[in-house]
Amino acid sequence: MVDIEKIEKRAVQSFYDDGLNEIALGLVFLLLGGYFFAQAAIPEGSPFNAVLSALFVLVILSSGFLVNRFIRFFKRRMTYPRTGYVAFKKKEPSPKRRAAAMIVGGIIGASLAALYTLSPSLKALFPALNGLLLAVAVLLIANKIGLVRFYALAAASAVIGVAVTAAGVGDLKGVSLYYGLFGAAVVISGLTALVVYLRRSPRPEPEGPEGPDAR
Amino acid sequence: MPADLRAPADIDRLIHEPARLALTAILSVVDSADFLYLQRETGLTKGNLSSHLAKLEEAGYVAIEKTYRGRVPLTLVRLTEAGAAAFKAYRARFKKFLEKS
Repeated sequence: MVDIEKIEKRAVQSFYDDGLNEIALGLVFLLLGGYFFAQAAIPEGSPFNAVLSALFVLVILSSGFLVNRFIRFFKRRMTYPRTGYVAFKKKEPSPKRRAAAMIVGGIIGASLAALYTLSPSLKALFPALNGLLLAVAVLLIANKIGLVRFYALAAASAVIGVAVTAAGVGDLKGVSLYYGLFGAAVVISGLTALVVYLRRSPRPEPEGPEGPDAR
Repeated sequence: MPADLRAPADIDRLIHEPARLALTAILSVVDSADFLYLQRETGLTKGNLSSHLAKLEEAGYVAIEKTYRGRVPLTLVRLTEAGAAAFKAYRARFKKFLEKS
């Protein structure tokens, strides 16, 4: 009997076969690591630091744009000729879901800000907090698409965050180290997936006039 | 005929065929896919895939668009609204039938 759910899940998973999403996301984390490192290196109160802080939104927005471009560019050249073109439905989150996400995000942000104001020593816990929050996010993705390597990445995020904090590297330096290490882990995972994908999926022979596109 | 026994007879046989069921299941989660993608995901031969897609197209369940990506010809397949509704109905009916049996 045809297992419809398995087929549907497999179709969603196929989007991640080539590892390009992870490579792009890993590069963004590495960029964030570099950004936080620069912020930690420049003394507080310096005009450069103020400029850097103001650039944060730009870094986030431009990395989102670049991720999209990166994935499209390489999918066109590597993935589509090998395993075919597929476009997924763009699901706009429902207003309820969007509101719930904003409330949860707001509560998390406000709680962290309040904790930080009440106890500045919490700076030491920043890498662990980042690691655990991202681990939850990656775990949700892993649960949705059912790929084992995403569970491993969720675990890696938590372990790296907690390990950096335990090593006594807190505050911005710790956060930059966390993003650097986790970004590297995500890029390595993506590159491994890409190598496996390229080995398993050679380019098919060019179609003759009797091929499917001649229909 | 009692309604319980009529349920399997009511099932959309066009979708019920395994290869076409796999195709509609894939197309139900994607916006569009090309011939090569569908061939790889279903494991069908080119001829079989063409024939099943033609049947689905004839029933108005899929729309096939011939286009180009750069200079490369591209056959894009997508589930139509009628196809999506038929697949949803098939799923619901089949689930109900399995629950009763």
